[in-house]
Amino acid sequence: MTSPRGLAPPRLTLRQRAVAHAGTAGLHARAQLAYRADFVFRVLWLLLQVYLLALVWRAVYPESGTAPAHGGQQVTLATQLAYVTYASVQNWLLTPAGLAPTPIPQRVREGSIAVDLSRPVAFTTQMLAAQGGIVLAAAPFAVLALPFAVVAGGARAPASAGAASAYALSLVPAVLNALLLAVVVSMVSFWTLEAVGVFMIHRVVAHFFAGALIPLWFMPSWLADLAQLLPFQTTTYTPIALYLGHIHGTGPVLTALAVQCGWTAALWLIMRLVWARALHRVVVQGG
Amino acid sequence: MSGPIIEVEGLAKEYRRPVRVEGPLGGLRSLLSPRHVTKRAVDGVSFALAEGELVGYLGPNGAGKSTTIKMLTGILRPTAGLVRVAGLVPWRERERHARNIGVVFGQRTQLWWDLPLRDSLELIGRLYGVERARHRATTARFTELLGLGPFLDTPVRQLSLGQRMRGDLAAAMLPEPRILFLDEPTIGLDVVAKERIRDFIATRNRRDGTTIVLTTHDLDDVERLCRRIVLIDDGRVLYDGDVARLKERYAPHRRLVVQLADGAGWHGVRVPGVARDDEADDAPGQVTLRFDPAGTRVADVITAVLARHEVTDLSLVEPGLEGVVHRIYAARGAA
Amino acid sequence: MSAAHPIPRHRAYRLLVTAAFRAEFQYGGNLLLTLAGGVVAQSVGLVFLWTVTTRFGDLGGWPMAEIAFLYGMRLTSHGLLVVPTSQLHSLDLAIRTGEFDRYLVRPAGPLMQLLCRRVHLPTLGDLATGIVVLSLAAHHVGFEPTPTALLYLGLALVGGALVEGACQLAVASLSFRMLSNLALRGLIDDIMNTFGGYPLKAFPDTARLALTYLLPVAFVAYLPAGVLLDRADGLQITPWLAYGAPLAGPLLYAAAYLLWRAQLRHYSSSGT
Repeated sequence: MTSPRGLAPPRLTLRQRAVAHAGTAGLHARAQLAYRADFVFRVLWLLLQVYLLALVWRAVYPESGTAPAHGGQQVTLATQLAYVTYASVQNWLLTPAGLAPTPIPQRVREGSIAVDLSRPVAFTTQMLAAQGGIVLAAAPFAVLALPFAVVAGGARAPASAGAASAYALSLVPAVLNALLLAVVVSMVSFWTLEAVGVFMIHRVVAHFFAGALIPLWFMPSWLADLAQLLPFQTTTYTPIALYLGHIHGTGPVLTALAVQCGWTAALWLIMRLVWARALHRVVVQGG
Repeated sequence: MSGPIIEVEGLAKEYRRPVRVEGPLGGLRSLLSPRHVTKRAVDGVSFALAEGELVGYLGPNGAGKSTTIKMLTGILRPTAGLVRVAGLVPWRERERHARNIGVVFGQRTQLWWDLPLRDSLELIGRLYGVERARHRATTARFTELLGLGPFLDTPVRQLSLGQRMRGDLAAAMLPEPRILFLDEPTIGLDVVAKERIRDFIATRNRRDGTTIVLTTHDLDDVERLCRRIVLIDDGRVLYDGDVARLKERYAPHRRLVVQLADGAGWHGVRVPGVARDDEADDAPGQVTLRFDPAGTRVADVITAVLARHEVTDLSLVEPGLEGVVHRIYAARGAA
Repeated sequence: MSAAHPIPRHRAYRLLVTAAFRAEFQYGGNLLLTLAGGVVAQSVGLVFLWTVTTRFGDLGGWPMAEIAFLYGMRLTSHGLLVVPTSQLHSLDLAIRTGEFDRYLVRPAGPLMQLLCRRVHLPTLGDLATGIVVLSLAAHHVGFEPTPTALLYLGLALVGGALVEGACQLAVASLSFRMLSNLALRGLIDDIMNTFGGYPLKAFPDTARLALTYLLPVAFVAYLPAGVLLDRADGLQITPWLAYGAPLAGPLLYAAAYLLWRAQLRHYSSSGT
């Protein structure tokens, strides 16, 4: 038996691979844009979520307009509403429509995975690029939605110039981690085609522990500790908390960024490991 | 029981379809201010069928065939005109009508996709309220006739197209409907499967007296099964009558294909009404002659050919329905 | 003569439902995981409410146990509805693929056949979660299971299911005329799911009124839960409307079904 790697042509140059991945991303972005009408309704759903969360926070917040978070910091209602708004929009952007987190399950079912495998670039990075394209397609809609979300919820300028740059920096691992998580989870479909349950659980768990509903600072401490141990918070909570200056001071900011990047490396490794097992399955079972 | 079992008079169907608005927010705009186009798919079709007839309902793609069938089966409500099938107006008395008819769409199955074929047949029997003993007997008979035995316990989604089609046919006929509608029943099937299905259809018509309306692109089906055809195009009936008479009218000519011996030349025949066929695709050493058997005797033509040529083979070709139908559509397109 | 005879509707329904369940169990395997997916998906909203109320106390004057009771009622109603009717979501698909044609040539109601085309097993998770949450919350709020209270609860649960079902059916009916309205239906479901389990009293008047009269979310669980929890006075609505809330379901569903029948006439089968 020949391994697919044995059949592969010589490795492409870095430039060639970059072009190939950009092509994959563009392809999937355009495919997404075919469903523009769906985006309109997905945006409405997002605005509804923001509106509901804002209603709840307004209703429960003390008269004084501030509430103590973990570590004794005070969080004003305005900050809380801004958090809810930004976190919802960012998490919406990073979580594509549909039950499955990536197109992988569909490609396995349709057999088009064989085409992906025959391409001279690694399958895993191809899928990351594809997922990146999907997120990219949603980006204009997220930008359009933001002002409306701000009306439904609230807004705040970055806490400082430092907070703004920390946010910008943290976005890179945040996006990467979201893509990596989606690819890793959807590889379940190499083992079973009926993975609806897994995807549903992933979606909900990721949403909650990313801090899209409640910031970690208002979770009961054991739940917050658990969320800190999981990778999901690095996609949403960390960047927004940096932006709002809830994580501040050189030490904590650098730690937060380091944790994000650590997860990027770890998730990359996990993805490679899972893929090695999945490939073994594909080769043995002939797809 | 006299009088037609299917009556169609001045039947018309217009489709009003929403047009998708292009451009940004197109989906939302088509939702808020929908625009429509109207298309008349069936435009004044009339015909009548007597009980026990087997009729081919033919026409090119988009001629309005399927739309007519859908009105006859109760799926669509006509825009104008009258339909009466076994005394019922299909769309108005839909469920009663459904118990009178069987329907097979070649393209898609009526069976339960995830269940074994046996379960689907069982369900159909119960859903149509067929008496148990009678249902068992019919199932056994159809299983035998259509050779369903080997795959009765296979889920329908795993069946080949030919197997699925036979299963569909059995399911449609289990309630022993008075009328069977077949839409492209042999599409995509191999020769053996086609033969089996045609046999089954012919037998149901002959032995059980089931009235059958057959829509197909495969004119072999029609030649093999139908005596009468209704030809439609552009939503109107072009021809309604005998297959034989249709051929006489649109393709009166016979062809005689002559294979000359090696090196022999063609010197022509001097028989009035016989001409070389310009449309024929003759191989080297081959000559096709055309004549009207009403005016010229076949024997005379053959004698004349043999008198002047050294010939290795002769064959007389009847006009195929295929060519006839092509000619009709072509003539209509030119008009 | 045809061998077919009419059979009663309930028997046709039983036949088709049994077939749908049998088809679903042919895949087997992931049943538990699929159910778990349903349970987790439906629990997260409650976890959110629990997190918020543990930190901040009550919401609109409703303590957590009462919110959970309301949430449990909403979810049970939702489960009662979606277990048998999840396939309404496939109407677009059935129309597009021509599957709907098949329903029209069979001697059974097309809506019944659509709803029985499959069962969506995660919905059993919705129902199970709803019942568990409702039972636990009933215990915590000290719900007195008198025959009257139980009867009202039962009617309210079914009524709530029918209110949600009526909204879904009414919007789904539009599919016969529109190319696709899946997204619109999704939006209405989202509003129901998002706001249905909250004490609407906590929200500003515009939101509360819209969720009562524009889209009858309040009738699903909020009003009857208020009655059962002795909060009828605080519902900001005429008492008879609150007490009569379970009746809204059957009335709205009947209206939605009439709309479905009327729209079905406009069905123009796909393709040629």
